[in-house]
Amino acid sequence: MRRELVAWLAFIAIAALLPLALTSDPYLMLLANVMLMFMALALSWDVVARTGQLSLAHGAFFGLGAYTVAIGHKYAALPPLAGLAVAGVVGAIVAVALGGVTLRLRGIYFAIATLAFGEVLRTVALQVPDVTGGTIGISMPPLFGGDRVASYYLAGAIFLLALALSLGVRYTRAHYAVTAIRTNEAVAAVMGVPVVLTKVLTFVTAAVIATLAGAFYMPFITHTDPHDAFEVSRSVAALAFPIFGGIYTSVGPVIGTVVLRSLEEYLRVTPPWKEGYQVVYGAVIVLAVLFMPRGLVGLASRMRARLSRRPEARIPILGSGR
Amino acid sequence: MSALLEAHGLVRRFRGLAAVDGLSFSVEEGQSLAIIGPNGAGKTTAFNLVSGLLAPNAGRITFRGRDVTGVRAHERCRMGLGRTFQVVQPFAELDVLGNVMVGALFGGGAASVAGARAEALRLCDMVGLGPKALWPVGGLTVPDRKRLELARALATKPVLLMLDEVMEGLTPAEEREAVGLLHRIRADGVTLLLIEHVMSTVRDLSDRVLVMDYGKPIAEGTYAEVSRDPNVIAAYLGSEEATA
Amino acid sequence: MEALPQTLFFGVLRSGLYALTALGLAISLGVIGVVNFAHGEFVMLGAYIGFWVYLLLSGPLDLGPAVSPLVIALGIPLSAGALFVLGRGVFRFTLRPLLSRPELDQMLLTFGMAILLQNLVSIALSPQAQDASLGWRFELLPLPGGAISVTYARISAFAVSMALVAATYVLLARTRLGKQMRAVAQNRLGAMVVGIPVDQVYEVAFGLSLALAAAAGVTLVFQTQVSPFLGLSTILKAFSIVVLAGLGNLFGVVWASLLLGVSEQVISQYVPDGSALRDGLFFLLIFVVLLARPGGLGRAR
Repeated sequence: MRRELVAWLAFIAIAALLPLALTSDPYLMLLANVMLMFMALALSWDVVARTGQLSLAHGAFFGLGAYTVAIGHKYAALPPLAGLAVAGVVGAIVAVALGGVTLRLRGIYFAIATLAFGEVLRTVALQVPDVTGGTIGISMPPLFGGDRVASYYLAGAIFLLALALSLGVRYTRAHYAVTAIRTNEAVAAVMGVPVVLTKVLTFVTAAVIATLAGAFYMPFITHTDPHDAFEVSRSVAALAFPIFGGIYTSVGPVIGTVVLRSLEEYLRVTPPWKEGYQVVYGAVIVLAVLFMPRGLVGLASRMRARLSRRPEARIPILGSGR
Repeated sequence: MSALLEAHGLVRRFRGLAAVDGLSFSVEEGQSLAIIGPNGAGKTTAFNLVSGLLAPNAGRITFRGRDVTGVRAHERCRMGLGRTFQVVQPFAELDVLGNVMVGALFGGGAASVAGARAEALRLCDMVGLGPKALWPVGGLTVPDRKRLELARALATKPVLLMLDEVMEGLTPAEEREAVGLLHRIRADGVTLLLIEHVMSTVRDLSDRVLVMDYGKPIAEGTYAEVSRDPNVIAAYLGSEEATA
Repeated sequence: MEALPQTLFFGVLRSGLYALTALGLAISLGVIGVVNFAHGEFVMLGAYIGFWVYLLLSGPLDLGPAVSPLVIALGIPLSAGALFVLGRGVFRFTLRPLLSRPELDQMLLTFGMAILLQNLVSIALSPQAQDASLGWRFELLPLPGGAISVTYARISAFAVSMALVAATYVLLARTRLGKQMRAVAQNRLGAMVVGIPVDQVYEVAFGLSLALAAAAGVTLVFQTQVSPFLGLSTILKAFSIVVLAGLGNLFGVVWASLLLGVSEQVISQYVPDGSALRDGLFFLLIFVVLLARPGGLGRAR
C-alpha cells in the first residue's frame, strides 16, 4: 500500500506542476482540464463496478450536475462553486432514490434502470424549455473568467476526491466488503456483510463525484444542451477508460483515460472516424472483456508473474487479501 | 427461558411446489441438532430460511429470543448465526486469509483491519490452514476448502453454527479430523446445527436428530430413537444416503 | 373523447411492434439469462437489411406497387435468417465463454457490442436517418365509419408482427425445441439433469432472439426513419415490457406490450405535455414495477 500511495503523491506533484509547462499552449491546457474531469468520472465508475454493478448512468449524473449549476445560476445567480455544492447534494439525493430501489435486486435491473434513467433525464431536459432552454440549451459565464489554470486546480480537487474514494475503498475494510459482494452476494450476506447498504453507499458516493464532474464542466464550457450534457458517449467513456486501463484499480482508470481520451482527440478530427469515433470504444470494451479482462494493469501483472520465480505468483489472480 | 433457535410452522414454496411445508423445531443452547433426511427433503431450503437468504411464505423464526423472521441475513450473522455452504464458494479474488477476514470484519465485528487479520490468522492456524494463509484459493484441495469454509464461518463469532454437509467429499481420515475440530468448537461454546448424511458424524456430534421428508419433520429424538423409527426407515428405503 | 377509439387502436397497433421486439429480448433474458444490451442494435441491423431490400426493389428493379409487400416477404426471411446465423455465431464465440464469468462481464460485453454496432453502421453507411419513401406508408386504408383511420403500413406491420409472435408462441408451446427452451428458462440445472443439451438450446435461443429482432427491424421500415441509433429507444421499451411481464414469463410479453403501447398513446393524447411523460413512461414503468414487485407482475413467487 505504501508504494502505491507514494506513487500517487509523485503523480499529484507532477500534475500540480503541469500548468507551468503548459501555459503557453491553450489547447493542451484545455485538454489537461478535460483529462482530470474524465479521470474523476472513470475512477467513480470503477468504484461502482467493484460491487459488481454496471452503472450506465454516470453520463446522466454528469449532465445532472451541469444542468443543476446552470439552472442555479439562471434562477438564483449561484456562483459556480456554490452551484457545485448544490449539484453534489442533488446528485446524492437522486442517487439514493435510484439506487435505494434498484440495488436491492439483481444486477441486471440496476443496469437497465441506469440506462433508462439517462434517457429520461435527457428527455426531461428537452421537454421543459422554459427551465432548461430546451434544444437550444443553457449558458453561463465562464469559470474563473476563463482562467484555465485556476479551473485546472478545481478539476484537480474533484479528481483528488475521486482518487481518495478509489484508494479508500481499496485500503480499508470496504475492499473486503465489495470484493465479497461482487463474487457472491449470498455468501457475503451470510458472513455479515451489509450488501445493500454497501452497494448503495458506493453508488451514491460515485454518483456525487460524477455529478461534481458535470458541475465543473458547465461553467468550464459555458454552454450545454440536452444532447451534449446527456451524451451516451460519456457513460461509454466512463466505463471504457477503466476497463481498458484496468478495472478494480486506481491506476487503471487514470491510465485508460490518458490513453483513450488522447486517442479520441485524434480520431474526432480524422476521417473516416470523426463522429463515429466511439466505434473504437465499443471495440475496446468487447476486446477487453474477452481477452484482457483486467486491462493494461492486468497485462502488466500477468507478465510480471510469468517472469517471477514463485510458483504461487503464477496463478493469475490479482489482488491478494492485503 | 426460550431456546437458542426456534422455527415455527415454516413454509416455503417455489412456483407452487412446497419445499418446506410446516417445519417447526428448536435448538437449545449447548444441545446440537442434526437434520437428516432423503435428498429433496427440504433441508437446505430450511437452512436458507433460517440464515435469512430466503423469506418464508409462512411461519416464524426466533433467534436468541428475538423474532428474526424479517431480519436480513447479514444482521442475523451479526447476532451470532453462522453458516457454511455445502458447495464451498470462496471469494476467488481474495487469498485464504482475506476470505476469513471478510467474516472477521463484518460478522465478527473486528475493530480494525489489522485486528481482523490477526484473528483470521489465528483461525487459519486452528483449522490447519496456517501455512497456506497467503495462498490464492484456486490452489486449495477439497478438505482445505472445507477448512476455509469453517474458518470463515468461525470468524463471524457464531453462537449457533449451521453446517451444511460439511463431511461431503472427505475421506474417512479427513472426516475424523473434521469431527475432532468440530468437537473443539463445541467445547468453545458454539452450538451446532448440522445437515448431514454421514451417520457416524451425526452420532458423534449431535445430541438430538430431526428427520425431514417432503419438507416436513417426520421424527425427532436422539440418534438411537430416530434410527429405530419405522417412519424414518420407510423414508430412507430405496435411497442410499444413510451410511453408517 | 372522440379520439379515444383512434388512440386505443393506435396503441394496439404499436404494441404489435413492441411485442415482437420484446419477445426476442425475453427469450435471451429468460432462457439464457443474459442481458443483451445490443438487442436494439440487431433490430437496427434488421431495419437496414429491410431498407436495402426496399432500395433494391424500388430502384434498379423498380417493381412499383409490388415493392411494399415484397419488402416484407423478402426482407423478413432474409434478415431473420441472416441474424439467426449471426446470433449463433456471436453466442458461440463471445457469450458462451462468458457464462461462467460474473454478470458484469456479460453485460459489459453486450453493451460494448451495442456501441460498436451503432458506430460501425454509422461510419460504414451514414449517421443520418433515412426514409423509405413508400407512398404506401402514408396511404390510408379505407375503413367504414370514420372513427378510425389507419395506414396500410401500420396495419400490415402489425399483422406481420403478430403473426411472427404467434408463430413463436407455437414454437415454444408445441415443438420439442420450444419445450426445451421453456424448461431451461424455468430451471437450468433441472433441464441438464433431464438430459436437455443446454448449450445447444442456448445457442438456438440466442439465434432466435436475434432473428425476431431482425424481423421487427424490417417492419420498422414502414413506420419510421431508419438510423444507426434507433437501438437505444427500442431496447428501453423492450426492457420495460420484459420487466413488466416478469423475467422468464415468455407468454406474458404480449399483454405487457399492450399495456405499454396503449398507455403510451393515451398519455400522449390526453395528458397535457403528454409527450414528455410518454418518453419517460417506460422508465416509470420499470421503476414502479421494481419497487412494488421485484419479480415482475406476471408471476406469483
